[in-house]
Amino acid sequence: MNIQLPYKFELSFPGDIEYIPAIRKFVSEVLLVLQFSPKFAYRSEIIVDEICNNAVNYGCKTEDARIDLICNVYEDGIDFTVKDPGGDHQHIERLKNAISVQSDEKSNTGLGLEIVRMLSESLNVVIDEQNLTSVRIVRKREDISQNN
Amino acid sequence: MIVDIKEVAATPEAVILQFSGELDFESIKSLVDAFKTIDTSSRKYAIAEIGKISMISSAALGEFMGFRKTLLEKDGDLVFAAMNMDIRAKFSSMGATKIFRIFNDVRSALNAFKWQRGLAPEVINLTFPANLHLVPPVRQLASRIAKQKGYGNKDSFRIETIIDEICNNAIEHGKRGEDQNISVKIDIDQKQIEFDVINTSDPDKLETLKALLKPTHEQKIHSEEKRGRGLSLIKMLSDELSVDCSEKGTVVHVKKVREVKNGISN
Repeated sequence: MNIQLPYKFELSFPGDIEYIPAIRKFVSEVLLVLQFSPKFAYRSEIIVDEICNNAVNYGCKTEDARIDLICNVYEDGIDFTVKDPGGDHQHIERLKNAISVQSDEKSNTGLGLEIVRMLSESLNVVIDEQNLTSVRIVRKREDISQNN
Repeated sequence: MIVDIKEVAATPEAVILQFSGELDFESIKSLVDAFKTIDTSSRKYAIAEIGKISMISSAALGEFMGFRKTLLEKDGDLVFAAMNMDIRAKFSSMGATKIFRIFNDVRSALNAFKWQRGLAPEVINLTFPANLHLVPPVRQLASRIAKQKGYGNKDSFRIETIIDEICNNAIEHGKRGEDQNISVKIDIDQKQIEFDVINTSDPDKLETLKALLKPTHEQKIHSEEKRGRGLSLIKMLSDELSVDCSEKGTVVHVKKVREVKNGISN
């Protein structure tokens, strides 16, 4: 198979939970095609699901709000960036609290970020002045030589 | 019980009723009065936002059912939004979840109404590297979206076939290289789905491609011919096909109207 990584995928879809199952499955199938292990692909699917659900539920307040998903696939891993237009003040504060929690602290933020933290190498959230929220997740391939 | 009635500027047919407090027996009169203030000839879609409701009586629910019936007769609806878990459990025990549509929030309810009315198509954009191995996930994405939006199995499968053909063509006949991408734009609404697949034209193949697209050539396409089968297949499966081919890029536009037989999606 002629695959020369890195590859970049960009998806933009309406801020509606209806789209998430198709989007997360797409990411998983792309990873399988690019010869990542089924375990890696499935865990990436979980991450995309969590982050996109948060973006839709907490980051979309207008009717025409959209979510952007940018995916960079490398030989040794993947990074995802999910962008949303930002929710109301209460949700932004909740997200900030969830981010500030250290990974070794027990917390129940309800945002699914703990699962994402557990399954990824790094998680960064940037909220700009207009509340545009960008979540970036980096995942490393667990074992390139063996298929997990 | 307090009820605040809000109009939706962008969607004049919709009205939001924000409730707070207890929807008990004593609140029935206020509830009925609130419904009476709504002009159902122009506002046919009511969203009852009940996130701040602590209880709802069966009598109140009966009033909601009555008002919903009035709206249904005018081709409208009454839906609930932002319902908390306790109220949802009560709705479920009363069997009301089978009658009313319930949405996570007002935004989702409004979007569902717009979708139902075909007021605005929903748009999905995708850019992916020009590699044939990536076409199966892309075509399945389009098919899944169509199914999720209520299109039938037959339509979804046809959509998958169309996307497969156009993307394969875009990669095979477009400019090749690591930095080359294919862009897919999907516009979907209640009645039809439209695709635009864009790729960078390969200057070496441009003339051949233009010749292939000439109407005189299209008439000559037979099933035995190796080239041009994809396009004739897309034509057969879709309602509109156009190809715009220039030095800058090739844009293939396809429209597929949703098939509905006896009110059921095919």
